[in-house]
Amino acid sequence: MKILEIAGTSVRRLLRDRTNIFFVFILPMLLILILGAAFGGSYDPRIGVVWVNTGALGEDLRDRIAASDGVAVRTIDDRDTAVVMVERGQLEAAVILPEGYDATLRDGEAATVEFVARNDASAQALRNTVDSAVTEQGGLLRAATLASAQGSTDFSAALTKAEEIQGTVKGVRVERVAVGEPFAFGQLGRFQLGAYTQLLLFVFLTSMTASTSLIQSRQLGVSRRMLATPTPVRTIVFGEALGRFAVAMVQGLLIIVGTSVFFGVDWGDPWGASATFLLFALGASGVGMVMGAVFSNDQQAGGIGVMLGIGLGALGGCMIPLAIMKIFSEPLWKVAHITPHAWGNEAFEELILRGGTIADIWLPLAILAGFAVVMLSLGAWRLRVTLTR
Amino acid sequence: MRTAFLIARKDLRLRLRDRSAVIYGVIAPLGLAFLFSMIMNPIQSSKFETTYVVVDYDKGPIAQAFSEVLDGLQENESGFTIRSVKTYNEAKAQVARGSDAFASDDKPKADAAFVLPPLLSQHVTSGQGDSLQVLAAAGSDLGAPIALSLAQGFASEMGAVEIAVRTAMPPDAVQDPVKMAALQRAAIQTKNPVVLKDVSASTKQLNQSTYMAAGMAVFFLFFIVSFGVSGLLEEKRIGTMSRLLAAPISPTSIVIGKALTSMVLGILSMTILAIGSTLLFGADWGNPIGVGMLIVAAVISATGILFVVAAAAKTQDQASSFQAIIALVLAFLGGTFFSISQIGGFIEQLSLLTPHAWFLRGLGDLQGGDVTAVIPSVLALLAFGMVTGLIAWPFLRRAVQR
Repeated sequence: MKILEIAGTSVRRLLRDRTNIFFVFILPMLLILILGAAFGGSYDPRIGVVWVNTGALGEDLRDRIAASDGVAVRTIDDRDTAVVMVERGQLEAAVILPEGYDATLRDGEAATVEFVARNDASAQALRNTVDSAVTEQGGLLRAATLASAQGSTDFSAALTKAEEIQGTVKGVRVERVAVGEPFAFGQLGRFQLGAYTQLLLFVFLTSMTASTSLIQSRQLGVSRRMLATPTPVRTIVFGEALGRFAVAMVQGLLIIVGTSVFFGVDWGDPWGASATFLLFALGASGVGMVMGAVFSNDQQAGGIGVMLGIGLGALGGCMIPLAIMKIFSEPLWKVAHITPHAWGNEAFEELILRGGTIADIWLPLAILAGFAVVMLSLGAWRLRVTLTR
Repeated sequence: MRTAFLIARKDLRLRLRDRSAVIYGVIAPLGLAFLFSMIMNPIQSSKFETTYVVVDYDKGPIAQAFSEVLDGLQENESGFTIRSVKTYNEAKAQVARGSDAFASDDKPKADAAFVLPPLLSQHVTSGQGDSLQVLAAAGSDLGAPIALSLAQGFASEMGAVEIAVRTAMPPDAVQDPVKMAALQRAAIQTKNPVVLKDVSASTKQLNQSTYMAAGMAVFFLFFIVSFGVSGLLEEKRIGTMSRLLAAPISPTSIVIGKALTSMVLGILSMTILAIGSTLLFGADWGNPIGVGMLIVAAVISATGILFVVAAAAKTQDQASSFQAIIALVLAFLGGTFFSISQIGGFIEQLSLLTPHAWFLRGLGDLQGGDVTAVIPSVLALLAFGMVTGLIAWPFLRRAVQR
């Protein structure tokens, strides 16, 4: 059938250029991988600790800070590196223990521990955590100081005794009780969030940039030659539409299968996921057709395609998840829903995060279907007009 | 040399007339930077704020001491709000609302609650001990963990005097209340020999708007510079190269002319972006001289890298594709879209192989210092340009031949 021929040629042209394989398949997977690696884990604030030559007490303080709730401790080799890392935002704060910390304290001298942070409030709030660790160790140090000042024992012996006593003292115990369910994202697999957001972003982006091949076939006169044959215009138009769609489907399937095999990503209810993706791909193909029909310069179309593809993707929740957007700025969240991406993301959020079925996502599906119909009709009409001009 | 300028002038006029240069050089980066900063700004500008509630069933001296700690916090540090509630259930309800990210703001919520049980003071002073419960909102990244630390610090403080007294106590002092009292006073007065000192670090970080603008600028730089560079291959394709070579022009000046085109386009584009983003959405690039040095160095590095890529390609189409791939990979690794420092480790080291990372680092350093702060980054960028330029040179000489 001619429609299949035309579509097949589109796909073959795409695949034959090996650099396209990078953009269409490798890049999305790479991005999902990087996003998962960077943001898939927890966001504990990072405290760098410099504890060179600080002896047993230094190690003890470092361990107490590391044992604190809600912080990630990294060992840094020297003060200058730690300070620069705080300045550059690679660490939220740094704790610098002076060299000879242990020896200084055992001699009965005082020691100064530095807390390095930027001037923002959350960095300052971390000070409380470090302060508590210092206070905890301080309890034992005060006891040893008092005992050695009284003359009954030396500092080190007193310290050991204080540690034993600490185990038996029944003062105030702190009991932690967790309340509430953590926010849904915290329970996700590492690559889960990246997978569906990047799928939507890239399928749309590819449709936009692949429109350049449609422009090229017009520029080269291939379309006109197709018209010269006994082929109705609508066949050519359908064929091109199918070609765009086929590319989107191949790309999407590869990403879906690849991520579930390599990254263990769960795509939720298969019917729902397929329907969402299918309708989104149809919409994207429609937009690609409109671009291919309207622009006559493939360079321009490429630039605008990249801009619109990334821009609409970002707005529609492919970079900052919709749910987070909603928390921080509800007006922005509302505006985001002019993009098909937002509706695709809503559908996947329901399917993957809340375990919904196809019935639960009827609204996003309806909107995506409507978008697809409008775009495909527009594209088909424009293409027909341009071809037969 | 004059020929090189002439060629550059001709190319520039061609490129500027072609609207795609304007799209890649100004519209796309500015538009995207604006969009990104609009999306990120609400998140970035949210300040640290946390609310704790206290349920006091004890009303004794220990509870009093703890309240004083919390009041001190509220007064002296920003972002902390402390409220009292009457019952455990009310406290728990507020913390439960605090853990639900979508709970509306009309009912009060808290990140953590401190529950001081009845007879707390009595149990502690009699040596029986008691527990202080901290109800922590699940999913609170900063507020709840800090509340826990506060409680633990307080508990340590409470135990410290007793531990000190018992450690220092000579065996005969138990019978003697006067000696015990003296020991207790001395214990209270003994301070922690370790002092925590605050050191304020300057900010060598760009604010969100500037980061996005700078990131987009350096990302699209690699596209705009490629216009000049691939022009070399284009001349070969459309046949004007042999005509150029037939003229009494040295092949070197042709290459230099193309390079000049790239650099002028790049500098023009980035300057417009720097000024535009500052005027339009409050980006703050910093000292203009430092920014200028970084822009020129970045453009030189981009030109060198893209020349190497062009030299490796056989046709203009191939060159464009390779250039786009390199532009994207370097941009991601270099942290233009998201901060690479989150990943850490090997990939963070790898990002230092990209000019993008050095450009952004240079701008960041400029924020926290004076003009000389950009020198390491400028040198790194120039090194990229020189090395790649040297590698590309022989290939280019060969390309500019009949």
